[in-house]
Amino acid sequence: MKASYIWLKEFVDFNLLPEELSHTLTMAGLEVEAIEEVEEDTIFDIGITPNRPDCLSIRGIAREISAVLEIPSKDISAGVEKEEGEGPVVEIENSGLCPRYSSRIITGVKSGPSPEWLSKRLESCGIRATSNIVDITNYVLLELGQPMHAFDLDKLSGKKIVVRQAGAVNKFRTLDDEERDLSKETLLIWDAEKPVAIAGVMGGRNTEVSESTLNILLESAYFNPSSVRRTSRSLNLSTESSYRFERGVDIEAVTLALDRAAQMIAEIAGGRVTKITDKYPGPFEPKKISVSFKKICSVIGVDISESFVEKRLRNLGFRVEREGEGIVAIPPAYRNDVERDVDIIEEVARLYGYDNIPSTMPFMQMSSPPEHKRQELVKILKNSMTKSGFSEVINFSFLNPDALEKLNLPSEDRRRNLVYIKNPLRKEESAMRTTLIPSLLNNVSMNLKRGEKMLRFFEVSRVFLSSGQKLPDEITQLAAIYHKDMSVSIWQDKHDGFYNLKGALENLFMELKIKEYSFERDTSSVEPYLHPGKSCSITINSQKAGSLGTLHPGVADAFDIKGNVILLEIHDIEKIQMALPGKTTYVSLPMYPYVERDIAIIVSKDITVEQAKKIIQGIDSDIIESITLFDIYTGKPIPDDKKSLAFSIRYRSAEKTLTDSEVDAVHSRILKRLEAQLKAELRS
Amino acid sequence: MIQRLLITSSKWSKKGMLNDIESIKNLARDEISNARCLQDIYDLKVKYLGKKGLLTGKLKSLGSIPREERPAFGRILNESKNFIESLLRKQEDIFKSSELDKSLRTEQIDVTVPGCFIPTGHLHPITQVLDEISGIFISLGFTVEEGPEVELDYYNFEALNFPKDHPARDMQDTFFISDDVVLRTHTSSVQVRVMEKSSPPLRVIAPGKVYRCDADVSHIPMFHQLEGFMVDRHIHFSDLKGVLELFIHRVFGRDTSLRFRPSFFPFTEPSAEIDISCVICNGSGCNVCGGTGWIEILGAGMINPRVYEKAGYDPELYTGFAFGLGIERVAMLKYGIDDIRLFPENDKRFLEQF
Repeated sequence: MKASYIWLKEFVDFNLLPEELSHTLTMAGLEVEAIEEVEEDTIFDIGITPNRPDCLSIRGIAREISAVLEIPSKDISAGVEKEEGEGPVVEIENSGLCPRYSSRIITGVKSGPSPEWLSKRLESCGIRATSNIVDITNYVLLELGQPMHAFDLDKLSGKKIVVRQAGAVNKFRTLDDEERDLSKETLLIWDAEKPVAIAGVMGGRNTEVSESTLNILLESAYFNPSSVRRTSRSLNLSTESSYRFERGVDIEAVTLALDRAAQMIAEIAGGRVTKITDKYPGPFEPKKISVSFKKICSVIGVDISESFVEKRLRNLGFRVEREGEGIVAIPPAYRNDVERDVDIIEEVARLYGYDNIPSTMPFMQMSSPPEHKRQELVKILKNSMTKSGFSEVINFSFLNPDALEKLNLPSEDRRRNLVYIKNPLRKEESAMRTTLIPSLLNNVSMNLKRGEKMLRFFEVSRVFLSSGQKLPDEITQLAAIYHKDMSVSIWQDKHDGFYNLKGALENLFMELKIKEYSFERDTSSVEPYLHPGKSCSITINSQKAGSLGTLHPGVADAFDIKGNVILLEIHDIEKIQMALPGKTTYVSLPMYPYVERDIAIIVSKDITVEQAKKIIQGIDSDIIESITLFDIYTGKPIPDDKKSLAFSIRYRSAEKTLTDSEVDAVHSRILKRLEAQLKAELRS
Repeated sequence: MIQRLLITSSKWSKKGMLNDIESIKNLARDEISNARCLQDIYDLKVKYLGKKGLLTGKLKSLGSIPREERPAFGRILNESKNFIESLLRKQEDIFKSSELDKSLRTEQIDVTVPGCFIPTGHLHPITQVLDEISGIFISLGFTVEEGPEVELDYYNFEALNFPKDHPARDMQDTFFISDDVVLRTHTSSVQVRVMEKSSPPLRVIAPGKVYRCDADVSHIPMFHQLEGFMVDRHIHFSDLKGVLELFIHRVFGRDTSLRFRPSFFPFTEPSAEIDISCVICNGSGCNVCGGTGWIEILGAGMINPRVYEKAGYDPELYTGFAFGLGIERVAMLKYGIDDIRLFPENDKRFLEQF
């Protein structure tokens, strides 16, 4: 709402400079968002909250200034000086949708440009001046907050007004020459035959006031706020008029505005004004709100005197009466936002000044809040990933449906079952994420384009999977990406990235003391966007919990990424949560020394380290303490289809110091078993 | 001279023996002090104390002296041996440590070569700010609650006193999934969910992602909020001021001023907007605060009784406050970030600054 300093001063004689007025308004809840100097005037752009439609006018803002500064405001004493003839016929079919409709006819007007003062004032407040009749209706809208409409009387069939819903009529051409689709419920203004306006939103082309207009019918009404809002929303048409009606205009000031406009038209455009027709089937019923002084002080938290409460509410136009230990307050018709005691309390607090209320600390019983287990886990996950060198990204929860195509996800994949947004900003953001992978790939692609290297990112966020219920399942996932760049660092990193990412996860498991996990090559469960030979599923407590692997080169191309990319996904961090060990138990330190023996074997290339390790673990002996892989070697003199694996095995007994012969016995059993089961040869 | 000593010692006489020992000691002392290197010391050790050493020779001849003299001479010889040994050891230590010094001086490394480590990753600045803010409220006894991001219209609007067809809904541009399912526009949606499952006293914060159908230079369609609320029998508006003041002072420092202005949110009454003195210009006016010296940072108020009614609380019995703040906004002020769009962009160079 734009308000002129000079115009406001006509209503209330404050003694404040524009900056001071701006501060006063802001601190009273009418936030001045911008101040603009215009010739001799200053224009304030005020953000009026939806609960205060009474301040969508100069008169309303002036009333507020008067209440805050405790100085009187001058009111409009509008009246029509001379009335001739009967007012128009008005019929209201549904008083719930139109509790009040007032009207006058003005005959013999002379249409033309407005006087300069008038058009200037309109334009300074952001409304374009057109011609005197329309300008005056707009002037009254700004001044009193009451939307008005002028019909060309000679185009009104039967010279009468009917307020009725659209029913079977489903098209209507508005003033702006747009054909509008109407719903059955749309409230319209009709003449004897046809619709002539969409009530409270915009007039019709068919009865528009023009330069040749001689006689007009002036409307000032109160339409049901929800009805106007529904209409305005469904037409996607918001006007100065609908904006005020949907918030609620002052039903008691409807005729004041009509008279004000009629008199101004008579003065500026000439013409004779008829008597008023004022149909008011749903009269205003004042609300009586009781509130005790005790409650006022208790909610605000400061002692406020009874006289202060009474006086300041009266300043705001409330009727106030004493009632026991409190008051009964009756808000004026224009304060439709004041409905119950807390609303009264807010008015008191506002005029007392929020800044004058002390700051205190609440008293509250101590209690033991539930543990934040999940948030704690998320925190640990994030910190652990950063320790392993990964930086956290936070991406939009949106998904471009095309990305699933690029990931090669089959049509039956659950992640294809998207939750769509009805009104997305862009097609690329039209669904909710069912996987974090496309976002991470885009992060890497974007950073590579900017010349960044050593990209290691992770994200812990929710994905949204259709559940068949109203709300989707929201599942928190962990995903990480490692981009191996080809540049060489001085500390050579031999791995291609797979083991870096695997190591990050193993380190996380170590931190959480989770031991029951494994990495399994199982071609059937590998993700379609991973390299089939360089990927695996992650199992926690024998349940599939995620996947790890090199990005499929085809998918890398689709996302415009060069270089080696490794991806890690934990499909639901709940799986980690469930695997957390209950408590840590101390195991006594060994009493006797260990003996360490190495064993290097040559096996076929497709034998995994895990296979060999499992065989060693399977030896029936209680002196094998640990098995550590320390070398994998291929190349001369090992045959091409073979590799060498070297383990260091630590032996220890809980009962005594081991002798060489005891260790030798187990060690040679290990070798025999490896030879038998893996066709391994001892590497000499 | 050595020859002479050997000759004189061939025939036993007490005096001669004592002279011999004394001469050996003196000679050893001179020679040790003249030694040039570690090898000289080793040679001298052999010469005096070795199997055929001079002093060893005397010890061997102990058998040939009269029985009654043996203990005395034995002692003298032992003392002499200890004496020479200690001289040798002392000199040996000196040579050893000087040789070590010399060899260490040749073993240099270039200490300016970069260290070897896994460079640490960085938490997103939004996570860092959220953690900091949550930590403050957790220390005050608040619990953390979460709610769905895809939310029923009921919890996001209806239960918070945003009726359908009410202009208050225009305050938040909403993404719709269906007619009655939205992407939550604020974390206030958690309020009624929590109230439905627990009873007062309540001290709750609800951090998380929220969505608004709006994107331009100063708006992103997904951002983060932290909602906080407290409900009990005697919670006052002044308590809201106290708690928020404490919070702002913890985050932005004790010198930060706060300004409470009346405002409107359907789910609070009275409602307030809270400005802080501009942390960039300290209130003197700059382009971050639009020249006003104040920056809007929080929305808050006393929880509207209508919300209690929806949750099944007795509005005559309970009062409480709620507040909400935008995490991106706090992060921007805290770190001096001038473009909100940097947060979802995830440029490595941006992330690594935090």
